Amino acid sequence: MSKPIFELVDNLPTNNITVMMLKSLDFLVPGQWQNLVGFENTIREVTGETDEEMIQQIGDRAIWLYNDKSQGYQKAMWLYQTVDSADSALGTAALANKVGDKIPLVGGLLSKVTPNPDKAQALDLCIKLVVELVAFCQINGIPGDSIGDFVTSLADYSGESLMRMAALVCVDGLIPLGPDFILKAQSTLDNTSPGELGSNSTFKQVQDLIPGSDTSSQLSFIGESFDSVKGWMANFVADRNLTPQTIFGKFQGFLDFSEDKLDYVAAFLDMTTNYYEHTGTQTLARCLIERAIAEI
Amino acid sequence: MVRLRQILFTYLLVTILLVTACTSQPPSRFDQAQQDSTSRGATAVVKESESGGSFNRYFPEPDSGYQRVYTQEKKGFAEAKLKQAGKEIAVMAISDTINNPSAVNKFKNSTETIAGYPAVNQGSNATAILVKDRFQVKVLSRDPSFTESDRKALLSQFDLNGLSQLN
Repeated sequence: MSKPIFELVDNLPTNNITVMMLKSLDFLVPGQWQNLVGFENTIREVTGETDEEMIQQIGDRAIWLYNDKSQGYQKAMWLYQTVDSADSALGTAALANKVGDKIPLVGGLLSKVTPNPDKAQALDLCIKLVVELVAFCQINGIPGDSIGDFVTSLADYSGESLMRMAALVCVDGLIPLGPDFILKAQSTLDNTSPGELGSNSTFKQVQDLIPGSDTSSQLSFIGESFDSVKGWMANFVADRNLTPQTIFGKFQGFLDFSEDKLDYVAAFLDMTTNYYEHTGTQTLARCLIERAIAEI
Repeated sequence: MVRLRQILFTYLLVTILLVTACTSQPPSRFDQAQQDSTSRGATAVVKESESGGSFNRYFPEPDSGYQRVYTQEKKGFAEAKLKQAGKEIAVMAISDTINNPSAVNKFKNSTETIAGYPAVNQGSNATAILVKDRFQVKVLSRDPSFTESDRKALLSQFDLNGLSQLN
């Protein structure tokens, strides 16, 4: 049985590598993301209510909604959890090596990190984007393949959802693939066969929930989704004059790395952070609580 | 033999205590809801409830300077945000209380009406009315500038007559 939603929210970390990384990206979406942790705390923050009886009712209803599988919330949570593949042992080891406020990316730690080939990284970016789209539809109740509705809503993204997209653009796009990451991802998709997609490890994990009757139609769906969201991503980068250098500069606030090891930064963060799961849990908790307070 | 059994039993008991002590979470005020909602046959939404999509048309058109953004549309529930200059100031929702029957209790002692329907304030930020003894229409403030009287005014702008004729 899956874990209770209140435990998932209560157990969100307050200071691990994921949280350090997201905080360093605050400048992209100023004030949008506070690391809201704890189920009761989230109820108080989202609703502004202080009455204990009401908080109990809201929490109870949110738990009922989450546990009703027909409502899609558990599928969304599963997607957010599954698309991240953080190696918690490596993260713990890295934190244990901290010098002052920074993790030195040197020696033994680096030997455990292998940069992804560009093609695998580009596919990861596209798959994560589709996971966001499918999870969005599961949470908000729009039919599972409504790309148009998702794109409209993206313009209205805020809070932890907007932070998740900001991190996606940086950590899975700009940093590993460079300033022309959108073109690279597009051309990778154009040159990927259904067979290659089928053997991608990230895809294999979430395949069951991607719309499409076979790998070939799932590949088309991923292509269409990417095509419709790339404009949003390009604007996000252009509006902020974002370059990999800007982001590397911010990461230097919590990571110590030399210029010749930039390749390893993305791989290290990929292996030690679970920002989809972290912010996805926060998004889900918020939506459940919003619905619960309206229904009680 | 009895002694061996006693030793084994003690060993088992200690092991169980140790294992559960290490893995279990502290008790939570939400344990009961978790237990009830995961029991056999429990559902938060019943199949007889109205679809969320059928509620959308009864939401009020926003006045000029405001935007209405639909956010959730689930079975028995629809929600939209009211924004002013991009800032969220209120949330509007219609829900089918057939999914959560205790929600109607608060209207029994209601002394107020809005457009003829029983109305109540709930907590510090919400005002709700009950239409046709079944559909709850609720407005929640998300900014201090959006007051109780704003909530009541917005509630009266829903197409309540239309909603009362649903199904």
